[in-house]
Amino acid sequence: MKKLQLQQLSKTYANGVKALDNVSIDIDSGMFGLLGPNGAGKSTLMRTIATLQDPDQGSITFGEYNPLTHPTEFRKVLGYLPQEFGVYPRISAEQLLDHLAALKGITNKGERKELVHYLLHKVNLFDKRNKNVKGFSGGMKQRVGIAQALIGNPKVLIVDEPTAGLDPGERNRFYDLISDVGEDVVVILSTHIVDDVRELCTRMAVMNHGRIVFQGTPNEGISALKGKVFEKQINRNELEEYRTNFNVISNRLIGGKPVIHILGEKPDNSFKAIDPSLEDVFFSKLQEQH
Amino acid sequence: MFKQFFLSELRYNLRQPMVYLFFTIVFLLVFAANSTDNVQIGGAIGNVNRNAPHVITVFTSVMCIFGLLFAVAFFNNAALRDHKYNFQDILFATPLNKFGYFFGRFTAALLLSTIPLLGVFFGIALGSFVAPLAGWIEPDRFGPLELSTFLSNYFIFVLPNMLFAGSIIYLLAQRFRSTIVSFVGALIIIIAYSVSGNYLSDLDNETLGALVDTFGNRTYGIVSKYYTPLEKNTLNPSFSGLMLWNRLIWIGLSLGLLAFSYLSFSFSDRKTKVKKEEAKVETSESGSAVKPENIELEASVLGQFFSFFSLNLKSIYKHVTFRILFLFSVILLLTDLISGFEYYGLQSYPLTYRMTDAIDGTTLFIMIILVFFSGELIWRDRDMNINEVIDATPHITLIPLFAKTLSLFSLTLFLHIFFVFITVMYQLIMGYFQIEFSTYFWDFIYNSFPLYLVTSLTLVAVQVLVNNKYVGYMVSVVVILGLDIILSIADVQTNMLRFMGTPYLIYSDMNGFGPSEKGVFWFSLYWLVGALFLLMLSGRFWARGKVSSFKERFNSQLTKPSPRYNILVVTTGALWLGIATFVYYNTQELNPYKTGDDAEQLAIDYETIYKQYKDMPHPKVIEAKYMIDIFPSDRSAEVVSKIALVNPYDAPIDTLLFNVSNQREELYDFPNATLVKKDEKHNVHFYVFDPPFVKGDTIEAKVSMRFSPKGFANGGASTSVVKNGSFFNNFQVLPDIGYNEGKELSDRNKRKKFKLPPKDRMPPLEENCTENCLKNYLTNGYSDYINVETIISTEKGQIAVAPGSMVEQWEENNRNYYKYIVDHPSQNFYSFISADYEVAKRDWNGIAIEIYHDAKHGVNVDKMMDAVERSLAYYTKNFGPYTHKQCRIIEFPRFSTFAQAFPGTMPYSEAFGFVINLEDEEKNNVIDAVIAHEMAHQWWAHQLVGANMQGGTLMSESFSEYSSLMTMKSIAKTPMDMREFLKYDHDRYLRGRASELEKELPLYKVENQSYIHYGKGSVILYALQDYIGEDKVNEAMSEFLVAHKYQTPYPTSLDFLSYLEPKVPDSLNYLIKDWFKEITLYDNRLLSAKAEKLDNGKYAISLEIEARKIKSDSIGNEQEVALNEWVDIGVFADSDEKILMHQKRIKLTEAKTNVLIEADSLPAKAAIDPRHILIDRVFDDNIKTVKID
Repeated sequence: MKKLQLQQLSKTYANGVKALDNVSIDIDSGMFGLLGPNGAGKSTLMRTIATLQDPDQGSITFGEYNPLTHPTEFRKVLGYLPQEFGVYPRISAEQLLDHLAALKGITNKGERKELVHYLLHKVNLFDKRNKNVKGFSGGMKQRVGIAQALIGNPKVLIVDEPTAGLDPGERNRFYDLISDVGEDVVVILSTHIVDDVRELCTRMAVMNHGRIVFQGTPNEGISALKGKVFEKQINRNELEEYRTNFNVISNRLIGGKPVIHILGEKPDNSFKAIDPSLEDVFFSKLQEQH
Repeated sequence: MFKQFFLSELRYNLRQPMVYLFFTIVFLLVFAANSTDNVQIGGAIGNVNRNAPHVITVFTSVMCIFGLLFAVAFFNNAALRDHKYNFQDILFATPLNKFGYFFGRFTAALLLSTIPLLGVFFGIALGSFVAPLAGWIEPDRFGPLELSTFLSNYFIFVLPNMLFAGSIIYLLAQRFRSTIVSFVGALIIIIAYSVSGNYLSDLDNETLGALVDTFGNRTYGIVSKYYTPLEKNTLNPSFSGLMLWNRLIWIGLSLGLLAFSYLSFSFSDRKTKVKKEEAKVETSESGSAVKPENIELEASVLGQFFSFFSLNLKSIYKHVTFRILFLFSVILLLTDLISGFEYYGLQSYPLTYRMTDAIDGTTLFIMIILVFFSGELIWRDRDMNINEVIDATPHITLIPLFAKTLSLFSLTLFLHIFFVFITVMYQLIMGYFQIEFSTYFWDFIYNSFPLYLVTSLTLVAVQVLVNNKYVGYMVSVVVILGLDIILSIADVQTNMLRFMGTPYLIYSDMNGFGPSEKGVFWFSLYWLVGALFLLMLSGRFWARGKVSSFKERFNSQLTKPSPRYNILVVTTGALWLGIATFVYYNTQELNPYKTGDDAEQLAIDYETIYKQYKDMPHPKVIEAKYMIDIFPSDRSAEVVSKIALVNPYDAPIDTLLFNVSNQREELYDFPNATLVKKDEKHNVHFYVFDPPFVKGDTIEAKVSMRFSPKGFANGGASTSVVKNGSFFNNFQVLPDIGYNEGKELSDRNKRKKFKLPPKDRMPPLEENCTENCLKNYLTNGYSDYINVETIISTEKGQIAVAPGSMVEQWEENNRNYYKYIVDHPSQNFYSFISADYEVAKRDWNGIAIEIYHDAKHGVNVDKMMDAVERSLAYYTKNFGPYTHKQCRIIEFPRFSTFAQAFPGTMPYSEAFGFVINLEDEEKNNVIDAVIAHEMAHQWWAHQLVGANMQGGTLMSESFSEYSSLMTMKSIAKTPMDMREFLKYDHDRYLRGRASELEKELPLYKVENQSYIHYGKGSVILYALQDYIGEDKVNEAMSEFLVAHKYQTPYPTSLDFLSYLEPKVPDSLNYLIKDWFKEITLYDNRLLSAKAEKLDNGKYAISLEIEARKIKSDSIGNEQEVALNEWVDIGVFADSDEKILMHQKRIKLTEAKTNVLIEADSLPAKAAIDPRHILIDRVFDDNIKTVKID
């Protein structure tokens, strides 16, 4: 069983933004969630793994593959669905997938057709295979996207922010599709939506400001916080005061009043101990960096 | 509301840089063109001021075409700005006034789009002020500037043209809300404009052409075609005549369009197309839901390449822009074909080379397609946001680059094949079955294939390297168009730097692609390999994944091509360098050339150094013997000339100045003469005689010349000696002795600029001249009438022709030898020709008529022989005997289009006489006319030639053209037939005087000005024979000929007039003065023609005539003079003016006259000067339809 190993990846853009800062993760097969707020460097990391971008430093290995020095070999086992998946105009879904299948190296025309039909069935677009793909809805396009990523039985499947902009129904369909991928495949799901990770992933990492601030299983994260997260409903004007006095990891409005979660010891009884959620893990990890 | 929208639109745009940018571009272009000598737009030459109203008008009307771009920018913005920023929902929800919104924006955009064109006026104004001050151009080249010129140009051209463009673009923008569609709209306007130009090819269609011209600039061209320099310097364009009608048509159309778009305009958002999701379940194929197993992934270069290729190809031909451009190129080609291949009212057969020429006319569209889609293809993945998916697939990095380039190129291939298909169909439809597929093929290989492939490779490379689509477009346009302009300003002429520069190639049926083939091949290879190298190099910067900067793209580990690729790039580069070196060696070292500025400087130096030898006497040639060996396969020739020379002067000759040429190897062997000085820079050699060559002495000199091409040259190769159809004359093989005034700089304004004294075009006409009449204008004292003998040989399979009768013919060393001797001493002016000919022969009273023609070109030969016979008959009867034993017409390749007369021999280009369709020509035609003209030269030029002074060409060219007209008249069926021919002569004269560079002269002092000696001379002599009688004119000419035939001193035009004057009755004596000695124009018109039926059944037609007679000076200052003229009036039975039912000559003394004519039946039309024999700038108004009272 191959492992995708990222070692000390760093990348600084010309404008000075440090998108990757010494990132090292080992990713086993199975569903891996990469969680992080917008601008955390997730897409840079995804593109780096997907052989679309050189890191300034660091290495990546996947078994005998070395994506950074021998990208072509690695691309053969790679499936990639980027954050924004666009399509050509004046072309049908089937033609598009056929083209991409040819690029992946399926030379035989008959095999290609069979595979494309299979994938279209799988993503439930077979009936629409001759339709202009540019006219598809966002969810349908995303399904075409996952279909293309699955061409050629990838060993590493990277999906970058796949659920952004999808309605709940489409999102569920997407979950079904992705969870269907074989267990021996490394699947990296990058997202800023905690639910995505909760529903799908066995292992995860949290990324912020180009750094990995947490990695492990979701349960590890949650158990580490056990007994350390407390909740309190406060008045709006008290928010600043609480922020200065406590380690507030999140606040959200319930019925118009802020409910805050703090991390640490229980200050007093006005705070209620709660079972930490994955969201708390996420926010607490982001907090730690400050 | 109107005011608000108008002002806010104006204010918005005036704060944007665009309007200033456009203005600056136009301003700088015009300023530069107006204030440097290197650019000559608008006809500011000779006596026309650089800022003449005519020049300003031409500038303005040309710039209006560029103005379309400005119009797109402003009108499209005005219509779409709200939509672009998604502001329309907010804006249109407010209670707007439709009229105010629509027209406020429109008017502002109209005003704005005219602002950049004001740059023309500012550019001219500044240029007129600065250029003389800075000394760039002489101050006297500028005239006064009038505000009225600017105003009339603004209201006649700028405003209506922008209104028209705007009304279309505004309509399109409102309807389609797409900038691309607006651009396509502009493109359509340009195409419509260029198509309307096709109507201008014949004089008969001029009016139609003037009316359909979108921008009115060809209309102005027609209106101003006969403008004299003076008129060009003073007249502003005006709303009158054709111009008025043209402007009314187009302004009317614009307003109509505007009204239509206003009425169809609505604030509610355009209905977005609701796409119906079809519920229909497709059952045709179920597809397996089972996952296919065991699919092998292999990086198949071919498979990936093909997939990229076909997908990208599809993306182009499905693109709407492509379809529009394709459609228009087909329309252009079809209009080109349908309008035919006109030559003076006749049609050429649809030869294959005419078809390929027509196909090459679509090149512009293909180039536009290449520019547009090179950017489109390279940016497609990124524009569509699919690049990351594509880039992450395991394809080899450079496959898409090459596949896309190939798809772009193959598109041009398909287009070309389609065009060939169209033209072949056309040939078949026209009943022409000699379709030469090999010509189609080789034309493609030489002309289109390299151009399209190099352009595809280069433009794709540009897009990759620049890595910004729009900057890429800009660079592409600069490479294709701008480079030429930059190079011409820098006076660089090498084709190695001009984009896709190659020597000029012209196809000829006789000679195929001709002597430049080799140069074209190497240059094409140079460009192909160079462009391939550039593309491969750009591959190192191919953007895959998220990389941007140049360095990043070059260094990226992820796209680094294999070392093998690098080796390939380096190899290609090395190959290219090798070819470049070879081309450089051939075009700069083996065949050096002079650039414009260099050549100018050499001419100036030559004049300043050697003018002192102008009057140095040199001997005369009295006899010449040639031994010529032509080697067509090697394109070489060796000529040994033995020339007998005499010193006819009192003074001994001790020095000879030779002008040598580096086009040939030459060796002189003059007895007692030795080379003393060589000026290699100016190609002048001096020989000194010791002892000197004294009066009466005769020497025999031997001159050896050798032409043999070395490699290939930058420009076109010499066409003198070619594989089939070698053609050169004696001046090319004899030494050029004495100071040659022809090598001086001749442009009057340039001479002034370089402080050279003004130069006379010809010595002044002298009365009773003796010494100066010892030189004729053809040989200029180099020789008189001499005997010539030639032994000429060529390779087997070809016939070689030299002047005179062939006295011997033999074969030796597998070559054909011929010996020719001229039967009568003749002008030292003859040609040597060799080609694979068929010879058609006919005997006419002991004179052999021979036509040497290519096997493919036999169709008109019989008619051509008829024309020769007709000429011989008329000329021997009216002028005197023919002095040679043969009349030869010899076809030569299409490298030039002319016919020429040498003693007994007339080379005639394959481009016209042999390929014009004469099947339906019952009457005389221009092909016959040319033959008759050249035949006439056997008398006028070869038996009698004018002295080298003003008026000299009257006796050769005007007489020949007149003679030719008379042979045509001899077979004309109706008096009206000749009007068709005279029309071209009138036009030639009037157009010619409009572009006279120095001064127009009266006919008897013509200074070798072709518009005068051909155009005016023939019209005047023709009119003269109509007035005094054909026999009188011919008598004068033949008496004159008898007196001066083969005699020296040579006669002058005054000598001729002394024979003519006695033949003219006193009542018409004024004609000699008016027509020969002064410049006289007529302005006749018919004001009305009314018919009345008489009691006897006849009709009385009363004509109201207006007539003016005008004298013009040499630059077009006109003065009306008193009228005392005989003029014809007549009536036509038909409205086509074919049947002249009645005509009479009346005397006019008043500007307005009423005349009554009687006719047996009711005429359709009436006319003053119905046969158009007087020179009248506007002839159309001489004819009126007859109205019944």
